[in-house]
Amino acid sequence: MPPSVMPTSIARTGTRVMTLHANAAKSAVAVPKKTATRRWRLASWAPVIVLVLLCAVIAAINPNFLSFGNFVRIAQAAMIPLVLGLGATFIILMGSIDLSLEGVLTLSAVILSMLVLNGANANDLGLLAIPIVLLVGAGVGFVNGTIHVRLKVPSFMVTLGTWFIGVGVANALIGGTAIRINDKLVRALAIARDPVIGFPWGVWLALLCFLIALVIQNYTRLGRYIYALGGGEDLAALSGIPAARVRIMAFTLAGVFYAVGGILAAAQLGLGNSQIGLGRLFTTITAVVVGGTALSGGQGGVHQTLIGVLIVVVLSNGMVLMGIPPSVQIGVQGLMIIVAVALSMDRKMMRIVK
Amino acid sequence: MVKRIFDSMNKPVRRRDILKGAAAVGAVSVFPAIISRRGFAAENPTLVNSIRSLSNPYHATWNKGGEAFAKSVGADYVTLVTEGNSEKGVSDIRAIIAKTGGNVVINVDPNDAPDARPIVEAVKEAGGYVVTQWNKPADLHPWDFDPNYVAHISFSGVPYGKAMAEALFKAMGGKGGIVALGGIQSNIPAIERKAGLDQALAENPDIKLLDFQVANWSETEALEKTNAWLTQFGDEIGGIWAANDGMALAAVEALRADGRAGQVPVTGIDGIQLAVEAILAGEMAGTVAWDPYWQGGMGLSIGYHAATGKFDPAKEPKDHREFYGTGVIITADNAQSYYDSNIKAEPELDWNDIWGRVSGQIQY
Repeated sequence: MPPSVMPTSIARTGTRVMTLHANAAKSAVAVPKKTATRRWRLASWAPVIVLVLLCAVIAAINPNFLSFGNFVRIAQAAMIPLVLGLGATFIILMGSIDLSLEGVLTLSAVILSMLVLNGANANDLGLLAIPIVLLVGAGVGFVNGTIHVRLKVPSFMVTLGTWFIGVGVANALIGGTAIRINDKLVRALAIARDPVIGFPWGVWLALLCFLIALVIQNYTRLGRYIYALGGGEDLAALSGIPAARVRIMAFTLAGVFYAVGGILAAAQLGLGNSQIGLGRLFTTITAVVVGGTALSGGQGGVHQTLIGVLIVVVLSNGMVLMGIPPSVQIGVQGLMIIVAVALSMDRKMMRIVK
Repeated sequence: MVKRIFDSMNKPVRRRDILKGAAAVGAVSVFPAIISRRGFAAENPTLVNSIRSLSNPYHATWNKGGEAFAKSVGADYVTLVTEGNSEKGVSDIRAIIAKTGGNVVINVDPNDAPDARPIVEAVKEAGGYVVTQWNKPADLHPWDFDPNYVAHISFSGVPYGKAMAEALFKAMGGKGGIVALGGIQSNIPAIERKAGLDQALAENPDIKLLDFQVANWSETEALEKTNAWLTQFGDEIGGIWAANDGMALAAVEALRADGRAGQVPVTGIDGIQLAVEAILAGEMAGTVAWDPYWQGGMGLSIGYHAATGKFDPAKEPKDHREFYGTGVIITADNAQSYYDSNIKAEPELDWNDIWGRVSGQIQY
């Protein structure tokens, strides 16, 4: 793209990045301040408003929605999409897409179920299995990133491939059966609750992941570079950002988050099977986009994904509470996606919509 | 091109080359969707099971039954998987017919009802033998393709959906409220099983259906729906009916997170191992086993008996050509014996008893 026709947003991100690179540590903190005024636009608060309205409507129809027990259940339902969404957000921020999520999640859940105390073999690695599973997730993510960058294969195709390979390997490992997890500590993630507030430990794990993602996004070079790539990769690369390395690292990071999602999913259902990831991709991408992260990259962030996840989860919880017939529910979900995205888009910067 | 290859041989191996090699190796090892095991005899017809995938316990067990039967007669055995793709399913079957020159017995769970017709026509043309299960168009009948279309086997969901509802009501003491998880709304087994539940509800006015939700056979969705119910109805829920075992087990997990697993009875359908174990643990009240091991082996056996001239399909009555198989109802009473003889040990079936589980002609 010749600079003369470059949209202003890209040009601006580019300038921002150049200062950032020249003085990385300091300006990484300073950058958000500079754009603080923009952040208060109504549009970027649209997801929060949608969430609040949604809660109000559901609570008006069924006051049980506001009970503590239901908060716990919503948190429980949100923990897995949140962790998956964190990983996916980094990829989407770069303007790429990662479809391998279900593959990595399935593979992680299956490997976890095979390594801890289980009903199928004699392994009993306990918590040691968790780092192994995280490494597997990082490995798949690394492969994604490397093939994508080095062989210049579009991320859509690479990750579509690794999605199927992941599910395929999981299949090969357990041959279509389900393995019950008997390890008390792993199950405790879903069942045991903290003594103070009373949330399951898995929810706290997901929140910890959220904080880590927030720090990576806002206070590390990787996080700021990811925004830069999403805003305009050619310019970012010209200003000296190691685009290839950033992409590989981002995919690796996403793989780790998906692996955490796999651990939580296995803990929640108490088993590992090769269908455990089914339907997660759709929910996750929906949550990220509904939160206001643009599929074109450069806009949004993990904090918005948190809101997006809550909208999706509260809506599906609320539709049952409000007694909406099953045949209507899927349609309402579709409607919600369109409304939320339409509300949160920043049309001023847009010239072309594809 | 040749020069390039020579040049590249002189260069040190680069990261990119390794990746290319790895990708090639990966592609080759993923490619063969036809998993074949070679048997001994060559004049025997090749036995083929065509199923959705090996990633679900149901079809994995189906495949084991097929292997066991093929071993018992010493025939070549091939598994084809459709992975939910009708076109792939049909073209893989055409390929195996061409490869074997028609000397083939195919036992197929068609991916979708319309697929059955091209499959049957291809087999008829080549002179092979085919048995279909679960899905076929209502106007496609084995007796119109004598002798090659040997039989169609299905299971009626209605009596078993009803039987599970009754087992559930019994475990609840005959009164209280239940919630029910359905399969995909447009899916025939899901519709039939729900119809069975409705019949049982009509006969038991003391049981109240609090809510029915569709969880699309998905464990994740079932878990979320059950969680929402626990908020909405709380202690009113006296039992949970689920249209399959996966959803039932997810409901049990939702109850467990609420500290109520084992207190609220749950029923499923399909008879997978974890469900039988849950019955033994007192967390589920019942399930129905279709015995996919029987389906995978006996489907082939019926075709094999026809192919080797043991019986003439054209002379069999209609209730041997389109029939409902028999499911095994498992509750706490017989769970242990079922577990010992079907799960702990490889099931021992008499493959020659081909009409042993006929329970009536299919009604359309």
